[in-house]
Amino acid sequence: MTPHAAAWAMLNEALAVYRDSPRATAFLRAQLARFGEPVRVAVAGAPGAGKSTVVNSLIGEEIAPVEGLVSYRDGPAPRAVVIAPPAPPQEVPIVRRDGRQRVDSGAWRSQQVERVLVDWPARSLRETSLLDTPGGASPELVFGEADAVVYLMRHMHDADLRFLQAGGDRPSVSTVVVLSRADEIGGGRIDALSSAKQIARRYRRDPQVQPLCQNVVAVAGLLAVAARTLRDAEFDAVAALAALPRTDLEEHLLSADRFVGHDFPVALAPQVRQGLLERFGIFGVRLTATLVRQGFDTRTKLVGQLVQRSGLGELRDAIGQNFTERHEVLKALSVWRALEFVLRAEPRQGARKLTADLERALASAHDLKELRLLAALQTGRTTLPGDLEAEAVRIVGGEGTDPVARLGMDFEPDERSLRLAVTDVLRRWQDQAVNPVLDTAQRAAAGVVVRSCEGMLTRLS
Amino acid sequence: MMAPPWLDVLDETIKVCVTHNRHDLELRLREKRARQLDPTVRVLVIGEAKQGKSQLVNALINAPVCAVGDDITTTVPTFVRHAETPSAALVRSASRRSAIASSPTERVPVPIDQVAQQVGHEVVRAEIGIPRALLTTGLVLIDTPGVGDLRPAHTASTFAVLVQADAVLMVSDATAELTATELELLRKVLENCPNVTVVVTKIDISPQWRQVVERNRALLARAGISAQLFPVSSALRLRAAKSGDKGLNAESGFPDLLACLQRDVVAGSDRLARRTVAAAAGSAITQLVAPLREELSAQDSRRTADTIGALHEAQRRIDELRRRSARWQTVLADEMADLVSDIEYDLRDRTRTILREVDRTFEEADPATGWDAFEQWLEDNLTEAATTNFSWLLDRAEWVAEKVARSFPVHRDDLLPPEIFPDDVLDRVNKLDRPRIESFSLPQKAFTGLRGSYGGVLMFGLVTSLAGMPLINVISLGAGALFGGKSIKDESDTRLKRRQAAARAAAQRHVDDFFLKFSKDCRDAARHVQRSLRNHFTTLAEELQETLLESARSAKRAVQDDQTERERRAREIRSDLDALVALYKRAQALGGPGLELSA
Repeated sequence: MTPHAAAWAMLNEALAVYRDSPRATAFLRAQLARFGEPVRVAVAGAPGAGKSTVVNSLIGEEIAPVEGLVSYRDGPAPRAVVIAPPAPPQEVPIVRRDGRQRVDSGAWRSQQVERVLVDWPARSLRETSLLDTPGGASPELVFGEADAVVYLMRHMHDADLRFLQAGGDRPSVSTVVVLSRADEIGGGRIDALSSAKQIARRYRRDPQVQPLCQNVVAVAGLLAVAARTLRDAEFDAVAALAALPRTDLEEHLLSADRFVGHDFPVALAPQVRQGLLERFGIFGVRLTATLVRQGFDTRTKLVGQLVQRSGLGELRDAIGQNFTERHEVLKALSVWRALEFVLRAEPRQGARKLTADLERALASAHDLKELRLLAALQTGRTTLPGDLEAEAVRIVGGEGTDPVARLGMDFEPDERSLRLAVTDVLRRWQDQAVNPVLDTAQRAAAGVVVRSCEGMLTRLS
Repeated sequence: MMAPPWLDVLDETIKVCVTHNRHDLELRLREKRARQLDPTVRVLVIGEAKQGKSQLVNALINAPVCAVGDDITTTVPTFVRHAETPSAALVRSASRRSAIASSPTERVPVPIDQVAQQVGHEVVRAEIGIPRALLTTGLVLIDTPGVGDLRPAHTASTFAVLVQADAVLMVSDATAELTATELELLRKVLENCPNVTVVVTKIDISPQWRQVVERNRALLARAGISAQLFPVSSALRLRAAKSGDKGLNAESGFPDLLACLQRDVVAGSDRLARRTVAAAAGSAITQLVAPLREELSAQDSRRTADTIGALHEAQRRIDELRRRSARWQTVLADEMADLVSDIEYDLRDRTRTILREVDRTFEEADPATGWDAFEQWLEDNLTEAATTNFSWLLDRAEWVAEKVARSFPVHRDDLLPPEIFPDDVLDRVNKLDRPRIESFSLPQKAFTGLRGSYGGVLMFGLVTSLAGMPLINVISLGAGALFGGKSIKDESDTRLKRRQAAARAAAQRHVDDFFLKFSKDCRDAARHVQRSLRNHFTTLAEELQETLLESARSAKRAVQDDQTERERRAREIRSDLDALVALYKRAQALGGPGLELSA
């Protein structure tokens, strides 16, 4: 039984066991409803890390930030519902102002609002729903509400590390770290983004960061939003800027103040320039002007280039690979955590079997470890010498999860020879797991491979 | 030249620290003193990672002397001071200094210059000398690694340098307002150095820098931190330096910052010294006062409680000993009385059994034939009875000794006396008297037979004479023989009975003798045991009591001593406190006007 199916079965069983407890039933029903939804990805981070900007860039629409927990999901038409207990959920209008969407939660004060549900027709929301969390949200809230987390930070600070560590073993299987506001790195130099990508690469290999996430990507959120919602007027303005001689323009792009200052050489109204600055940032203006000059001189070309440079593509890929494709495992994990909570909060006689099942499921979540190792090996975070790497990838299920595929056999073996082969591989990897030549990470990887071999052996007998 | 007043205060504070044995404080203050007397003014540039600290230093002196980069770049504190020719040095460890690169630091084409490449793990700081008018007055700029990044060693080295700072430039960039961690850092800095200026950098790339500056001002005001705040742009300043553009330089915000540095930090070094000394001396005195206050308030309760507690404990133990010694004496007396009566009863029981056996024996047996064997048997039995009885006595005595030891108030290894038993008490009892045994000789038998047969002959002779027979005839003679035989038998029975009675009496006497003698011996032995036990335990109890009394006496003395000592100490503490408070006031007076001036 796959983890997904097992989790579904256990959830239903728990509902039967706890049918006389209204609290547990309500909680479990919510989990059941959530189980069928797309993967829920929370966007978290310190205040000012750029959470709403990244959410906007992922949705492809500029929606003004709303205070509190906002969840975005796919829907036929834009619709927003404010939930503020004890009042009943209430639909509020979404208004469009200066090209931005605004959830008009007017009458509600932010302290009262528990969460805002926004339905938005967007392709990107079909497979993952997004959760914009408030700046000071606790790790418990973030990791409890969501199946996976995109954690934003400007530079890895102690506080960020503590947040991820507070997530226990969850960040390592369901978190992507984003160096947000990548455009501000390096004082907004034109090569800031490639520099940010290098820093992301360094963090990816940092021994402190590595066990806390699956990937680190750099994203210039502002640029990404601007690119995905580029308006014709804006393109025209940028094109006009690019038409100026480089040295003349440079003088006026030195600082944000200069760009919106008086004696500007191009006939662009100060409001237009102010608008450009707000939407792109000074770095964005510099970059777009340069790009137009380099030949990306149509709107489509420019948008494509900007999306690619902003790192949004990488973020989408990371979400796709790590969250969307593995949504079954992530959903199962969320359900198991929820069940664990219920079983602990309301222990009872009838739940014995469920407890045992849950323990078994969590203990045998070796699937997760395999996935983690696979990701590490394939992204090059962990390397093994020589042929070992290819073999490790194969054994942890990189080419298929039945024993024959894992062992890389090109014939159909009988049970005896299969057992011999597994024993042989197991012994070799047991040696690797204590091989003093390998470093700690490599030995740990070998340990996972050993565990996979043992798993095969138990399934054979 | 007269010594400035702050030096007096500082020296006195140092002296006070010495007298209070706070060498850590003394060391810190001495370091401050040395630095205050040093004409150089150290300005520390501090802040979280990637806020533009190194770039700020570069922009201040218009030279790329500190490495700047997009990732974590600065890993060791870098000291930038005046020198006639550009030079750089790396300090590898606390003491050893080696000039590695004397390459000109002005024109390194890459942002990471020679110094940054050479920085390894063992380097503790970099020192760079550069000819600059700003630095000629003794100003030293210290660039530091970012606080709060993932390498605690960086943060630690920054805080190590913080102690040496005369003034601090706290750097935060204009893309975001001051975070909670930055405010926390600012508070920590203020504890060590009161001269803090907040510099908001990167205003060139932040369109909303004015709002950020406003919010920062509000945040500082709310946190109760009075620090000046300067928005600057290092990028603009460096560019202005390259192109000589005065307007751009003004836009960069640096002229204001430099003026502040000149005015408040460099020129006002005396005021700076006063403020620094006021803060340092104030914090040191506060640290000295706290334990004194605590001691003063705790004296009455805690220390006295200890000594009085000891006294109470000693007295309690003496009482306990008294109570317990009464108890062990009772135990000893009771047990020994029980022992004696038990032993006597046992002995009597055993002898009675023997006597009953003797009675049974002499109902049948003739003492005349088996006396010797009987004598041996009796002797053996009595000896056995005596041995058993006596060994029981020994066992019981030992048990009693243990029981008494248990009820003794303390436990010691030598509690049980080594030897409490008298030497062998089993003296020989007098030899058993042989009873007089009458023999029944042949003439006696003949006489007795004749005496018996006389009657028979006469009785039957008279009867038969009636029948005309002579007096002496066959019948009468036969009857005479019959009667004679019977008389002999009767006589010998009677004699046997007499002999048996005599033997029984002899045995009885012997056993009585034995009992009398032996029971006396046992009683003596028991009394001997009792006496030696009592002596033994009494000695022990006396020893113990003496020890306890001694400790009680010393506890009492301690209480009395403590009383006087405490009063003396309290007087001492109060005078110390007064002196400290006076000193503190002087120190505060030193800093007061300066603090007001800058506010």
